[in-house]
Amino acid sequence: MEVIQLQEATRVYKIGEVETHALRGVNLTIQDGEFTAMVGPSGSGKTTLLQLMGCLDKPTSGRVLLKGEDITQLSSNKRADLRRGTIGFIFQFFALIPGLSAYENIELPLLLSGINGKKRKDRVTELLEAVGLSERARHRPDQMSGGEQQRVAIARALATKPILILADEPTANLDTENGRQVMEIMLRLNEETGTTFVCATHDPRVVPFARRVVELRDGKVSDDKRL
Amino acid sequence: MRQLWKIAYRDLTRNRRRSLLTLVAVALGVAMLVTMTGLYAGAIGDSIENNIRLQTGHLQVRDDSYDEDKVGLAWEDLLDNSEELATQVQSIEGVKAASPVLWATGIIGTREESVGVRVFGIDPLSDVHKTVRDGLADGQFIQPDDRGGILLGRRLAESMGVMVGDQVSLLVNTSNQQADEATFTVRGLYHTGVPTYDDATVFLPLSKAQAFTRTEGRASAITALLDDREQADAIAQALSGPGFTLLTWRDMNQVLLQAVEMSMGITYLMYLIVLAVVAVVIANTLLMSVFERVREMGIMAALGMKGRQIMMMFMLEAGTLGLVGVALGVLLGSLGVLYLATVGWDIGEMATVATAEVAYGEVIYGDFDPAATLALSVGAMVIILLASLYPAWFAARLEPIDALRTE
Repeated sequence: MEVIQLQEATRVYKIGEVETHALRGVNLTIQDGEFTAMVGPSGSGKTTLLQLMGCLDKPTSGRVLLKGEDITQLSSNKRADLRRGTIGFIFQFFALIPGLSAYENIELPLLLSGINGKKRKDRVTELLEAVGLSERARHRPDQMSGGEQQRVAIARALATKPILILADEPTANLDTENGRQVMEIMLRLNEETGTTFVCATHDPRVVPFARRVVELRDGKVSDDKRL
Repeated sequence: MRQLWKIAYRDLTRNRRRSLLTLVAVALGVAMLVTMTGLYAGAIGDSIENNIRLQTGHLQVRDDSYDEDKVGLAWEDLLDNSEELATQVQSIEGVKAASPVLWATGIIGTREESVGVRVFGIDPLSDVHKTVRDGLADGQFIQPDDRGGILLGRRLAESMGVMVGDQVSLLVNTSNQQADEATFTVRGLYHTGVPTYDDATVFLPLSKAQAFTRTEGRASAITALLDDREQADAIAQALSGPGFTLLTWRDMNQVLLQAVEMSMGITYLMYLIVLAVVAVVIANTLLMSVFERVREMGIMAALGMKGRQIMMMFMLEAGTLGLVGVALGVLLGSLGVLYLATVGWDIGEMATVATAEVAYGEVIYGDFDPAATLALSVGAMVIILLASLYPAWFAARLEPIDALRTE
């Protein structure tokens, strides 16, 4: 079953008179439960592709289908609804809310989804355990290491049990050991929960964890291998 | 909404210093306005009460043809049988005291100086003049059968260099439009705390005043004090009859009440200016918060928060700051009013700039005005919420990917 499909997706950015073709007619299908790494040099279009998949942006032309539904023409409110319930994000710089604790950061998507108190508490506790941070629940981001912050970000991304997790350079700011731990957690959660993972990365350490590697070059898919 | 409130509350407590400073600004602005409202209410209230206690009473009965501006003494303009009339008025339920009074203008003088004054011929024993009696500062109060005594304001006496026991001359116009002069002994000095009154009013026993002005037992008016001043209209209605004019304290304080109305425009303008400053503080605080948290807004949007939810979150923050700030301000302002109500504000010589109709005392006491305070609080909240609209709208308009790119 396809989770996400891109059909001739193109994205052109215009800044003044200058046009930048970030994506050029990309055709890509991600299957349910896959762990996909999207690799390529800087400027190859990885982040743009992730943003289209995650309803953060719209293609200039072409279509994006999420579980068969064309999300290209959706209003910004409908796209926000999809992001809240269906898609989780993990960012390069962790993107945690500075003044909130680990617990509160993970709780945030659940609050936005209107999940009630006990259910919310149980879910956050479960996720903290899953990423090995039960002891750090009350710590704020400035009291945690990079690896710990990224683990909180993973837990947050999984909070509402999305069908798709999009990770943009998840190990870029982590040392070898922390990077490895983060990837192991993501892979384990992929296997345990069946959640589809797509990681955009130029870190070669990520590739061995992936089941599929899609290579992007100059805004096009240049290679697509199942491992 | 509960969820947005939780996020908004956490945002407020994250930057405690900024939230606290904003709260203080709102509270101080509102406190200042509440205190000023109380001072204003007290000043107006006091002025009306002073006028009632010292000059107008709650009710006056006059002859139809009496002209207050001319202070005439022609017999046809005065009340005949004034004692009988006063007794009748006093017998009406709700009337605490009623007494005839004769008004004239004159000049009081010593060898060195002379001053224009109002001459009040009064029944010294009547409760209508209790305020002046209670204000006796030196010497004795005049008695009904005193043929040679006069009561002066202490301020007037001091300015003329006169003491109890000294002699002064008094020149008055009489009923046959001639001037007459006599010498009086200063029996006593009074002090009411209302400079415009104390500087310009002298008292004679009614019978002496009537003889001096050749008005033969007549009076300018019957002045009455009531148990409840709100009954003035009803009692005036009961007393009305041909040949008489009945005036209530509202009728007789028209100048003051009109001045109050006219000054309200300026007062509201001042309120708006202060509240505008408060609004700018709130808007600035929120804008700073938005600019600092652009990336965070991007994260929130990426997590699925809608534009209107982001807007609502910021408005909840502003609303919370406003509500707590206004509540604190009302509390502080009320303490200010309490201080003014008990200790008062000594304006001293400034009270002399008022006219005779606006009887400011030397000390102004505050008075809590619940309706005005409520209106002020609601107005402040509305202005604060309006001021938060722009920052909230700005935050809501941010595109997630643009916001996420921000450092």
